Amino acid sequence: MEKNYILFPNHSQGLKLEAVLKANKIKYVISPTPRKLSSCCGISIMYRKEDEERIKTLIEENSVEVTGLYTLE
Amino acid sequence: MGDYREMWSKLQMDLEKHDILCEALPQAFGDIYLTQENRPEAMNYFNYALAEVHGARIQELQEEKEKGKKVVGTFCVFVPDEVILATGAVGVGLCSGSQFWIEDGEKVLPRNLCPLVKAFMGAKVSRTCPYFQSCDMIIGETTCDGKKKAYEILEDYMPVHVMELPQMKRKKNYEEWQDEIKLFIKKMEELTGNEVTVEKLRKSIDLCNRKRRALKRLYDLRKHTPSPISGLDALLVSQVAFLDDIERFIEKTNELCDELEERVKNLKANGKKRIVVTGTPMAVPNWKLHSIVEGLDAEIVVEETCTGTRYFENKVSTEGETIEDLVKNLADRYMKINCACFTPNDGRIDDVIRLVEEYKADGVINYNLSFCHTYAIEYEKLEKALKEKNIPVLNVETDYSEEDAGQIKTRVEAFLEMI
Repeated sequence: MEKNYILFPNHSQGLKLEAVLKANKIKYVISPTPRKLSSCCGISIMYRKEDEERIKTLIEENSVEVTGLYTLE
Repeated sequence: MGDYREMWSKLQMDLEKHDILCEALPQAFGDIYLTQENRPEAMNYFNYALAEVHGARIQELQEEKEKGKKVVGTFCVFVPDEVILATGAVGVGLCSGSQFWIEDGEKVLPRNLCPLVKAFMGAKVSRTCPYFQSCDMIIGETTCDGKKKAYEILEDYMPVHVMELPQMKRKKNYEEWQDEIKLFIKKMEELTGNEVTVEKLRKSIDLCNRKRRALKRLYDLRKHTPSPISGLDALLVSQVAFLDDIERFIEKTNELCDELEERVKNLKANGKKRIVVTGTPMAVPNWKLHSIVEGLDAEIVVEETCTGTRYFENKVSTEGETIEDLVKNLADRYMKINCACFTPNDGRIDDVIRLVEEYKADGVINYNLSFCHTYAIEYEKLEKALKEKNIPVLNVETDYSEEDAGQIKTRVEAFLEMI
């Protein structure tokens, strides 16, 4: 199954986006960052593909720093 | 995500080796935890705590240390956190739950020893546990021969203070434990330069009681049929409890409980067998038994273990005007923990029977880490007492390796069919 992840330069930015997603009632799951995406430990956020555009807008509007949005098969 | 390599370097960690651990964790956690359906939203915090277990939390500890605070590591629920907190220090439970550390542990310890003891030594010897590397001192205790003797070896690597836990529960043993707590206070005062006052000790007792209440609230919610939270998730909360900032942990656990209280209003029967787990502790990332049991048609509803009820049952009284009074209160509460290191330890058997009733359980699984003699021997009496009450029981003796997972699964499956 396809999985989508948002990666961050540090955990504070991850928690910042979490608060935004929560406030906007967008479903997400905090996950350890998969090794395939980065060799750094720490959190990433899993999201549903159908929410991607909305999340991108929210990232922009709330100036959350992200490393990127990725999809793993 | 964050790059913690610089911090780990400063902690003199073996980065190359630690990386093997970092590589395995996301996959293991994803497979076991994130594949569960319909998890509470509030578990996201505990996902965070686990994902950042060697990252953000360690960074917080370094920040505390920069402010002059001391960090002390513990391995046992008998070591009173209240004393650590009253001296302004931070207490952390130490790494000891992964097969990853066994090989290095066996370099300095015999192979026929409990995996928990081998793992903690391995974590230190291999410099792959950032908690160990952050500690100014380790507080040991004499709850088992394995740990007791391992602390002598650990002393070659870092300062260790060992508390002598009495092995019987007579009046004089309660007094002995009070004396040990007083010695511990003195040791912590020396380490931190901070005096333990009545006011500070009372405040830390109150904080630890609040943490116990939050965990009790979570466990009480598991009494519902079906439980609003999986045993795996509840275990993760308990494991995080040993590592996390206490105030934040209380807040997040209560948020989880708020959500679970809503959940229980709409839960429908799922027909799953309800299991009590009793026995030896499950340190992070030991999720082996829970993942096997909950992969079948069953849910674990309570753990009578040190990473379960023994950690939070009974409060410490804040009554009293002197340090002596409060130390007595501490000793009274801690000596109520029913660990197999005591003889006799009939209280544990009573606890298991009580929990089966309170949690409306269908059966009991005795979880015994390999070579843990006290629990292994005690099983005879436990089994007999449960059989007299017609409570089905299964004994699982295992270590951290995955080799016997298939075999355990078959045995649990047969057990579930029988009950």
